[in-house]
Amino acid sequence: MSVSSQPQDVRHLETRLSVNLDRVGKIANAGIVLALVGSVLLGHFVSFYFHFLTVFLILLNLLNFYWRHVQKAHTLLSNFGFTAQLRYLIESVGPEFRQYLYSSDNEERPFSRNERTEVYRKAKGIDSSAAFGTQLDWESGNHILLRHSFFPTTTDKLEPFRVTFGEEREIATAYAISHPVMISGMSFGALGSHAVRALARGAKKAGIPMNTGEGGYPKYHLMEGADLIFQIGTAKFGVRHEDGRLHEGKLAELAAKEPIAMVEIKFSQGAKPGKGGLLPKEKLSQEIAELRGVPMGQDVVSPPRPLECVDEASTVAFIRRVQEVAGLPVGIKFCLGRSVELRRLVLEMKRQGVFPDFMTVDGAEGGTGAAPRSFMDGLGLPLLEGLARVQSVLEEEGVRDRLKLIASGKLIDARRQLIAMSLGADACYTARGFMLALGCIQALQCNQNTCPVGITTHNPRLERGLDIEAKSTRVANYVAGLCHNYVEMLAATGKTAASELGRDDLFLPGAHQGGAS
Amino acid sequence: MTNRYVQMALRLVVAAILLPVGYSKLAAGGMDVMLFERLGMEPHGRIIIGLLEITAGLLMLSPQAASGALIAVGIMFGAILAHSTVLGVDVGDGGRHVAMLTLVLVSSILVLYARRRDLPIIGTTLGAGDNRDP
Repeated sequence: MSVSSQPQDVRHLETRLSVNLDRVGKIANAGIVLALVGSVLLGHFVSFYFHFLTVFLILLNLLNFYWRHVQKAHTLLSNFGFTAQLRYLIESVGPEFRQYLYSSDNEERPFSRNERTEVYRKAKGIDSSAAFGTQLDWESGNHILLRHSFFPTTTDKLEPFRVTFGEEREIATAYAISHPVMISGMSFGALGSHAVRALARGAKKAGIPMNTGEGGYPKYHLMEGADLIFQIGTAKFGVRHEDGRLHEGKLAELAAKEPIAMVEIKFSQGAKPGKGGLLPKEKLSQEIAELRGVPMGQDVVSPPRPLECVDEASTVAFIRRVQEVAGLPVGIKFCLGRSVELRRLVLEMKRQGVFPDFMTVDGAEGGTGAAPRSFMDGLGLPLLEGLARVQSVLEEEGVRDRLKLIASGKLIDARRQLIAMSLGADACYTARGFMLALGCIQALQCNQNTCPVGITTHNPRLERGLDIEAKSTRVANYVAGLCHNYVEMLAATGKTAASELGRDDLFLPGAHQGGAS
Repeated sequence: MTNRYVQMALRLVVAAILLPVGYSKLAAGGMDVMLFERLGMEPHGRIIIGLLEITAGLLMLSPQAASGALIAVGIMFGAILAHSTVLGVDVGDGGRHVAMLTLVLVSSILVLYARRRDLPIIGTTLGAGDNRDP
């Protein structure tokens, strides 16, 4: 039992594949030919009814011949014939089986069943107490936690939440929010009209603003009277000249509309930083093409940055131009790549004396309707890392008090929101949280126009089930549930406002090992 | 491959033959009963085939024409078996049955080939351009 046992172990591993698929394929392919012969004989000599089987076997043999000897696209079908089709069949129902039966409650991504259930419960306004202790993998020690106080505040002692965008510039159109959460950018296009209207109506009920996303003229967002943050994407849909430059007249006209409260210029998005937005042609309808001003029949691809912004100076000048034309609080949204670039941008802001009224920091974990997987998985800083760096840069340059910070990226519950606020955020955005509140089941088909719950589709048959009024109530309930959790957790930390939270109020695994905190 | 209007015409031809033929089987037309008696399939085989013919005829007129064509091809293979082993070409109608059968078979095969990618489950493996695993 020493050195010699090793090769045996290896051999043992090599024999794991006990089914000889080549043999199974051979037997099956020969079997259906023999079965055909048998069936013909039975049909002829016993009963003509056997010829039902004969016909089926003739078709199967023809198909099998095609798969094995004619088509060249599928190796497995060439090598094994119809038995390989079993793999495709089983594979095609894999995602459903995993979600229904095999994945544990903490396993699925982006959101585990437990996380989704929390949102559903809030949205339905039902009790969300749980039993027997946390289900998180505690031994892994990877969870960032909030620190509570020996002396918690009571919720009635908390200051009411209030953040005013634009107060630094003392503009008359400064905009105040009274809830820590807002609906992040989702365009009509990415979402269907029912979903947009349900969200907008819910936002109105809850008293929170909603970002329009970069989908051009926000026709459906405007229908419900909710406060809106108009997003100017890199292609400037809705406010562009044909060559892609800013159309000041259209922007001024939109900004003058009463529901439009703020403007957000999108520089990058966590799910696809450094790449423009993408609307697949499957989802491009005549109406969307008109609202955006683009041709039909091809994917709508936005440039990776606004055309006007080629360096720091032109970027800051562009921000000032939008502030002047819109006459509203104007912010920028980005996912952080390099801190040093942000610092150069901030230095330029200081030089020109121009600051956006807010910065939205999006994390690489942020959501999207459609993006290449390599971008989702491979680029950009995660929210908490990015946010902490942005906060540091702003503090070190002494300009943190010149603007507000908004965080976005999987902030679907109060825990994550308070963590973001401890790292410097003044308010939070979430998009997928609200999609879950609308009934999203995480089918992961947002880019295919086949969303089974009618949220990210323009197919009227699929949108039919999304009742605008019923779901808008869910949206409002979700906000109420979030705020309830937020207030209670904030009180537990012993603070009276989220602005008092700092990095020391977090337990960062690994960061403080052996330290005094 | 097949021109859109040609395809439409072929679908109409197949439906126009299969629907009345299927109906006549269900209604126990004299000729049908006689033929199925000779096959030893009276009455159940006649009813099953009648239902299948009507199903195929209706599917031919729907977006799932590919499935209709597949069923039609299957029925016609069965009919060929019947005529070649038991019934013979002339069943007392001067070969009209066999002529119709051939027309339906050829039309269905053309439709089936043109729309093969619409077939459920196996459709995506019947031509280039899908994104499955190898």
